[in-house]
Amino acid sequence: MYAFDIERPTTVAEAVNALKTDEAQPLGGGQTLIPTLKARLAAPSKLVSLSAIAEMIGISREGSTIRIGGATTHGQVATELAESYPALGYLASKIGDPAVRNRGTIGGSVANNDPAACYPAACLASGATITTNTRDIAADDFFLGMFETALEEDEIVTAVTFPVPEKADYQKFEQPASRFPLVGVFVAKHDDGVRVAVTGASESGVFRWTEAEEALSADFSAGALDGLSVDADGMITDLHGDGAYRAHLIKVLTGRAVTASR
Amino acid sequence: MHGGLGQGIGQALLEAARYNEDGQLESASYMDYAMPRADDLPFYIVDHSQGTPCTHNPLGAKGCGEAGAIGSPPTVVNAVIDALQSGGKNVTHIDMPLTPHRVWSAMNNA
Repeated sequence: MYAFDIERPTTVAEAVNALKTDEAQPLGGGQTLIPTLKARLAAPSKLVSLSAIAEMIGISREGSTIRIGGATTHGQVATELAESYPALGYLASKIGDPAVRNRGTIGGSVANNDPAACYPAACLASGATITTNTRDIAADDFFLGMFETALEEDEIVTAVTFPVPEKADYQKFEQPASRFPLVGVFVAKHDDGVRVAVTGASESGVFRWTEAEEALSADFSAGALDGLSVDADGMITDLHGDGAYRAHLIKVLTGRAVTASR
Repeated sequence: MHGGLGQGIGQALLEAARYNEDGQLESASYMDYAMPRADDLPFYIVDHSQGTPCTHNPLGAKGCGEAGAIGSPPTVVNAVIDALQSGGKNVTHIDMPLTPHRVWSAMNNA
């Protein structure tokens, strides 16, 4: 790790100001960034920690939506949403290990947009809105590709707001070493149709399987997927599985998620 | 005994040092090298009833840690092959480690 300065602002406004310095980088829970620094793969001159900003921490219910502050940890989401949005609470409860869940944040996860992260699938399937210090961005417009988002330089994810679906479920097939999803599928049944979001599989990052969405909107049962298949082109091939295997898993996990939805 | 079993089952199902075509080690960290963890392994019943004490020292002690590591890989692999054959798949061999991807590929080619 190289030397760096760190600031711990207590308001979003202070954080935005601190990030204006050259090479300053925001630090969420640090569960990706700190290992990256340890491996000397990044060398920011200054980190701006977002973990002491009270207005970015916590979960609130607003009508039929749930608003999660950007600096809220996975552990807190897992505990507090177990009843009110079980699929999302479950997803949070299976990220990493207890140490990771105690530090890692939802804002950090969506801003990093790791192609195998869990939260982006929940955001996309739920039709969530990502709120920053300057604007609201629909999840459909936010995730642009592997590690790419609609965020501008120095823009901070202050909250993510989830409409709560009628039914939903998340299925994760774990890569055996990292326990990240080799493939993860989040299925959400809304008033106006079903949304299916897939993480871990595509070279373009998280995506919606629209063919399955149409079939499931007409008939919400695993059998509705019969005859559908996912094209292996553009799926990730690595030492844990090839594109054809990932394409196969997407269909299997989607069916399981439909059956397990509640 | 338990540690040896963990090593053997890890070898059978999880652990692989993998290099790409350029000779780059791809499994260079525990994010990609699957070390067996407690929740990968079952509880064991170890039978001590057929003990054969060593005759060359007063305690009758001898090394036995390797026993679990040697017996477990063929046991696990044979069990997987047997399950596939019982399910009607003509599979006689899969290279270790038997990852989900390798088992799935073997099933597709059978």
